[in-house]
Amino acid sequence: MTDRLDGATVEVIRNYLVSVGEQMRRTLVRAAFNPVIYEVLDFGISLYNADLELMAEAAGITSFLGANDHAIVKGVEYVGRENMRAGDVYLMNYPYWSGAHSYDAMLFAPVFRPGHEGPAAYLAVRAHWMDLGAKAPGYVLDSTDMHQEGLIFPSTKIVSQGELVRDIIELIRFNSRLPDLTIGDFHAQLAALRTGENRLAQVWEKFGGATVDQAVRQIIEHGERVARKAVAALPDGTWTAYDYCDDDGVTDDLIRMDVTVTVDGDQMTVEFDGQAVAGPVNLPIGSTESLAKAIYKELTTATEPSNAGHYRGLEIKAAPGSFFHALYPAATFTQWSAIVAFELIHKALAQVLDTLPASSGGDEPGFMALGRDPRTGADFVISNNEGIGWGATRDHDGANAQQHPSQSVVRNTPIEVLEHKSTVFHERLELIPDSGGAGRHRGGVGVLRQVRYLADGEVLSMKKKSKTRPWALHGGHEPEPSEMVLWPDTDRARRVGMYRATMRAGDRFVNRTAGGGGYGDPLRRDPSAVVADVLDGYVSAEAAARIYGVIVDETGAWRPTPARAGNHEG
Amino acid sequence: MRPRIRLAVDIGGTFVDAIAYDETTGELRVHKAPTTPDAPARGVLDAVGGLTDRLDDVEAFVHGTTLGLNAILQRRGAAVGIITNDGFRDLLEIARANVPAQHMYDFAYAPPPPLVPRRHRTGVPGRIDAQGQVLTELDEDAVRAAGRLLVERHGLRSLAVCLLHSYANPDHERRVAAILREAHPEVSVSVSTDITREYREYERTSTVTLDAYIRPVLSDYITTLEARLAEAGLTHPLHIMRSGGGAMTAELARRAPLTTVLSGPAGGVVGASFLARTLELPRLISFDVGGTSVDCCVIENGEPGEVHEAAIDGFPLLIPIFDIRTVGAGGGSIAWIDEGLLKVGPHSAGAVPGPVAYGAGGTEPTVTDAALVLGYLDPGAFLDGGMRIDADAARAAIETELAVPLGVTAERAAASVFQVLLARTVGALREITVERALDPREFALLAFGGAGPLLGPMLAREMGIATTIIPQVPAAFSAFGMLMSDLEYEFATTVLRPLSDASLAALEPYFAELEERGEEVLSAQGVKPEDRALVRRLDIRYHGQEHSLGIDLGPGDTAADVLARFNAQHAARYGHAMPDGGQILTLRVRAVGRLAKPGLPELPPAGPGTPEPISARRAHDVTTGEFATFQVYGRATLAPGHEVRGPAIVEEGTSTTVIFSDQRLTVDAYGQLLVTGTGGTHD
Repeated sequence: MTDRLDGATVEVIRNYLVSVGEQMRRTLVRAAFNPVIYEVLDFGISLYNADLELMAEAAGITSFLGANDHAIVKGVEYVGRENMRAGDVYLMNYPYWSGAHSYDAMLFAPVFRPGHEGPAAYLAVRAHWMDLGAKAPGYVLDSTDMHQEGLIFPSTKIVSQGELVRDIIELIRFNSRLPDLTIGDFHAQLAALRTGENRLAQVWEKFGGATVDQAVRQIIEHGERVARKAVAALPDGTWTAYDYCDDDGVTDDLIRMDVTVTVDGDQMTVEFDGQAVAGPVNLPIGSTESLAKAIYKELTTATEPSNAGHYRGLEIKAAPGSFFHALYPAATFTQWSAIVAFELIHKALAQVLDTLPASSGGDEPGFMALGRDPRTGADFVISNNEGIGWGATRDHDGANAQQHPSQSVVRNTPIEVLEHKSTVFHERLELIPDSGGAGRHRGGVGVLRQVRYLADGEVLSMKKKSKTRPWALHGGHEPEPSEMVLWPDTDRARRVGMYRATMRAGDRFVNRTAGGGGYGDPLRRDPSAVVADVLDGYVSAEAAARIYGVIVDETGAWRPTPARAGNHEG
Repeated sequence: MRPRIRLAVDIGGTFVDAIAYDETTGELRVHKAPTTPDAPARGVLDAVGGLTDRLDDVEAFVHGTTLGLNAILQRRGAAVGIITNDGFRDLLEIARANVPAQHMYDFAYAPPPPLVPRRHRTGVPGRIDAQGQVLTELDEDAVRAAGRLLVERHGLRSLAVCLLHSYANPDHERRVAAILREAHPEVSVSVSTDITREYREYERTSTVTLDAYIRPVLSDYITTLEARLAEAGLTHPLHIMRSGGGAMTAELARRAPLTTVLSGPAGGVVGASFLARTLELPRLISFDVGGTSVDCCVIENGEPGEVHEAAIDGFPLLIPIFDIRTVGAGGGSIAWIDEGLLKVGPHSAGAVPGPVAYGAGGTEPTVTDAALVLGYLDPGAFLDGGMRIDADAARAAIETELAVPLGVTAERAAASVFQVLLARTVGALREITVERALDPREFALLAFGGAGPLLGPMLAREMGIATTIIPQVPAAFSAFGMLMSDLEYEFATTVLRPLSDASLAALEPYFAELEERGEEVLSAQGVKPEDRALVRRLDIRYHGQEHSLGIDLGPGDTAADVLARFNAQHAARYGHAMPDGGQILTLRVRAVGRLAKPGLPELPPAGPGTPEPISARRAHDVTTGEFATFQVYGRATLAPGHEVRGPAIVEEGTSTTVIFSDQRLTVDAYGQLLVTGTGGTHD
C-alpha cells in the first residue's frame, strides 16, 4: 500500500489523467467520419482503474455523463478479466448492458502494466454508428423488440492482442447499410483507444503505477467529499414529480413517468417508476443512470471533470422490467424519452429549491429530411437539432431558442449548409412571439422554421413532448408544447410529434419549438421588462396587456391595467 | 551616420511595448510605458518617446492594437442595426443555439444579451439560393424603408448587412449597401461579403456585426494616432498588425477593422515563425506566458498552424488567424485549496490588485508570489528595480493560504504551485500536438512573454523537450515579431464542388477575381509589382466530412496532384485516407506584399573565459527538490559561445530565465539562450 500523497501531487496526476481523456476525445473527433460524432458530439470516453472505478472522462454531450460506467462492469464480467490480453479490444452494443441503443457502439480495452496482476486500467470509447442493419434505414421509430434494431455484440473481441479480427469486421461490413462510414468510425474509436493506452502508459512511467493508483484513490475520495458536501447543503426530504412522454411510437397513449427524489444528509436517492411499453422508448438502466447523473452533477460539481467519487452519494433505482430499467427483449431504439425524463428530477426538487428553472421545453425538437437531389441524382440525409425556450428561474428569464439542457453543447445546422446538401428551402427561421411561458420571469421563446421541399422527399419529425405542456413554477404560465405542422395552410394540414411523412415538391412543414416555463406571477413582472419585450417583439402588445397587465404603445410609454394595479394593491 | 529605425508598438492590458531596430547598427532597444485606456494613442506616443524623439528617422512603423478586442469584451462598441432577409431577422440571436462548453452543466444558463437587440434587426424581401441564382428580386423600397427605420427612427450610425447565400452571389448585399449609403451618407455600412465569402449564415452575420460594432471606435483611433504620429514627424505610412499575421496600411485597417482584433498574440507567432525559418527548426512550439494566460502555437517547417474561424467572447468571426491555444493560467493566477487539493487558476489577480507581493491589496497567493518564495525572482529587480516588491507578504500568504492547509512548508507549497501550473500546461501542449499525430518531444520550445523564460525550461524538463530557446528581449517578443511582418491579405470564397480537373478549370475565374482583389489591395498600399506574391489554396475535404484541410495549389496542378497532397496530409493528421475523390469547399488567395525586414543580426562572439555571475542566491532546484545556490548572470554579459551550467538564473529587467542542475545554457550566434538537458528525458 502506497502512503497517502499530498494534495499537490494528487492534483498534478489528476490533470494528467484528465488530459489523457481529452487527447482521446480530440483523436476521436478529428478522425471520425460521421457528423453525429463530430457535430452532434454523440460519444462518451471514460478511463477506469483496475476496480472499474471512473478515473476521468471526456463526455460528448451532457446526458452521456457516466454512460459507460454500467457497461464496463457488465462487459468485464462477461469476458472475464482472466481472459483479457494486452492489445485486446471488445465491442459491446447490447442495449441492456451498454445503457444505450444498439447503434451506440462501445469499444473497451484492458490496459496492462508491468508488475500488475491482470488489467491495471480499462479504457472505453462509445460513439454513434450510422448503421448496423436494423429493420429500417436511419432511425427505427416503431420496433417492438431488440431483434428489429440491428446486429448485437455482447462484448465481442474485435482486436486480439493488437490484430484486427477480420471475421468480426466482415460481419459488420455485411450487416451495415453504410459499411464504409461504420468501419471508418470504428477505426476512429480504435485510434482514440490507442492514444489513451499510449498516454496512460506514459503517466504510469512518469509517476510510478502504484503512485498513480494511490492518487486515483484520493481523487475519488476528493470527488465524493465535494459532491456529498453539496448534497448536504440541500434540505432533507422526499419529493415526487411526474410528467408525460407523448407515446411509444406504436400506440398513441401518453406514457406517465414518475420520480421520487430523497435527500437524506449527504445522500441522494432517485427512484424512477413507469410501465414498460411495446415501442422503442424504454430505457436501459444505464441510460436512466446517465440522465440522473447529469442532473446530480449540475447540483453538485458542475464545473469539474467527473470521477467515480462524484456519484458515490447518489443512488438510482428503477424496478427491473419497468420503463426505466428495460430488460431483454424490450425495444429501446428511440430513447428520446430520456430527454423528457431528464427534467423530472428538477421538477421534484423545484418544490424545495428555488434556484432551479422551470421546464426547458421538455424535449429536443429536431427534424431530419431525406430525399434525392434531382440535379445530381445523389441521396441526401440532413438533420438539425433545434433550440427550445429554456425555463425561467427565480433570478432571470429563460434563454431563447437554445439547445435543450440534455445536449446543451450541440449546435444547430446552418441553413446554408442544409440547403447545399439537400433540396429543402427555408422560407422563415424566426423566434416566436408569445411562445415563452409568462411569469415574473419569462420562459425563453421558441423558434419557428418554415421549410418548402423543392423536390420529392421525406421528413422525420423527432419529438416526444408535443402532447402535454412544459411545466412552470410558482404561478408562472405553461407554454405551448413543440409541434411540427405538415402541409400548413392546406386542407391536409396535420400536427405531429414523432412522425415520418412523404413530401412532394412544393410541400411545406413548419417546425415550432416550445418556449420555457414561466416563473412567478406575470402581473409582478417588472413593467420595464414587459415594455422591452414588446419593443423587441418577444411579447405582443396584446399579451402584455392581457397577461402582464401592462399597456404599452409603440413609443414605449406604458400604464398598468386594473388587474396589475389591483395586484399591486394586494 | 543617420540612423534608420524600424519601430513596432504592441499595446497590452498593462503595458505598451515599443521596440526599435536600427538597421545601420543592428541594435535592438525596448521601452515600456503604461497603457492609457482612456486615450490609447497617448500610451503609444509615450512608449515610442522612450526610444526616439525623431520619428523622421523611422522608416517603418508597425502597430498592434487590442482596441477593437476590448471594445467587444467591454461592450463599448457602436449601436448597430442589422439588415437581413425577410423572415430571418433572428439569425444573430438564434446563433448555433449551443451553450458554451464551460457552462455544459449549468441548466439555468442565460446567454449574454445579443450584441444587437431584436428591435434593431430587420428583414427585406429578396432571395438568392445556394447556387447563387436569384429566386426573388430584392425589394429596393423595403431596403429604403429599413434604412429609415434603423437610421431615422432608431438613430443608429453603423449598419451591418448579411443576406442568405451571399457568399455565392453578393449582388443583393452590394445593392442594399449602395442604397443605404446613398440615402444615409453619414452612416457606416458593413457588408458581410466584403469581409468573408464563406458559407454559414450565423457566422457571417456575427462577423459583419462585430465589424460594424468596432468600426467607428477603431476608425477614430487610427485617425487620431496617424495625426499625432505625423505631428511627431512620422513621414512613412503607419501599418497595423493583422490577426492572421502580416500587416496592412492604416487606410485599409479603417476599412477592415475586424482583421485587427486578435493581432496581440499574432506578433509573437510571426516572430516565432521567423526564428524557426532562420534557425531551421522544423518543429517549434511558441510558448507565450503572460499574467493571465499561456498562448501556444505549433509551427511546422516555419509555418504556423492557421484556422479560418475565431471567436471573441463566444461570438464567431470568419477571419484567418493563427491556431493559438490558450490555457487560463499565468503569473497572476491564484493558487487555492479545494477540499485538500491544490488548484492554480482559473481566477487571476490581474493587474489590480495583482500578486500579494505587489502590495496593492492582493491577499490570495499567485504564481508570482510562489516564484518569490522559491528564489526565482529577485524582489529588488522587478522592472529594473522600478517596482517595490514585498517578498515577506508573498511568503506569509503562501504560508497561511496553502502551506498550513496542506501541512507542508511554505517552500514546498510554492514548489507545488509550479507543479500544478506545469501539469495544466503540459496537457495543453499534448493536446495541440496529438491533433497532428505528433509528440511534443519532437519540438523545440520558444519561451517568451514576461514569465515564459521562467516557466519554459521547467516545462521542457517536465516534458522531455530537448531545447528551449529564450529570444532577445523575451518580454517584448510580440513587438519584435511585428517588425518581421509582411503586408498580407487573404480572400476566400466558398464554392462546394467535387475535386476534378473540370472544377479546377471552372474555378479559374473565381481565382482570377480573388487575385484581382489582392492586386488591388497591394497596389493601393504602394507595393511594387516585384514585391508582390499571390498564393492559391484550396480547402479540401472528403464528401460528408465537416473538417477540411488547406492544400496549396501551384500553377499547372491537376486535381490528381491536389488529391494526392490532401490524402497524404489527411493520413498524417488523422491516421487514414479515404477512397473518395474529395470535395472543394473554399478557394483562398493570400496576397503578400514583401516588406524590407531586418535579418537576425549575429553578435560578436564572447572573448576568452567564462561569464562572470553578478550575484548568487538560494533558490529551489526542481531536479533535486532541494534549495541550492544559483549563480545569477546579467543577460547583457552573456555573449555568443558562452555556456552556463545549471542551476543558474539569468536576469534582464523584465524577465528572468531559470535553469536547473540537470540543465545547461548556451548562447547562440544571435545572442539567444538555448537551454538543454544534460540527463535523459523525463516524460
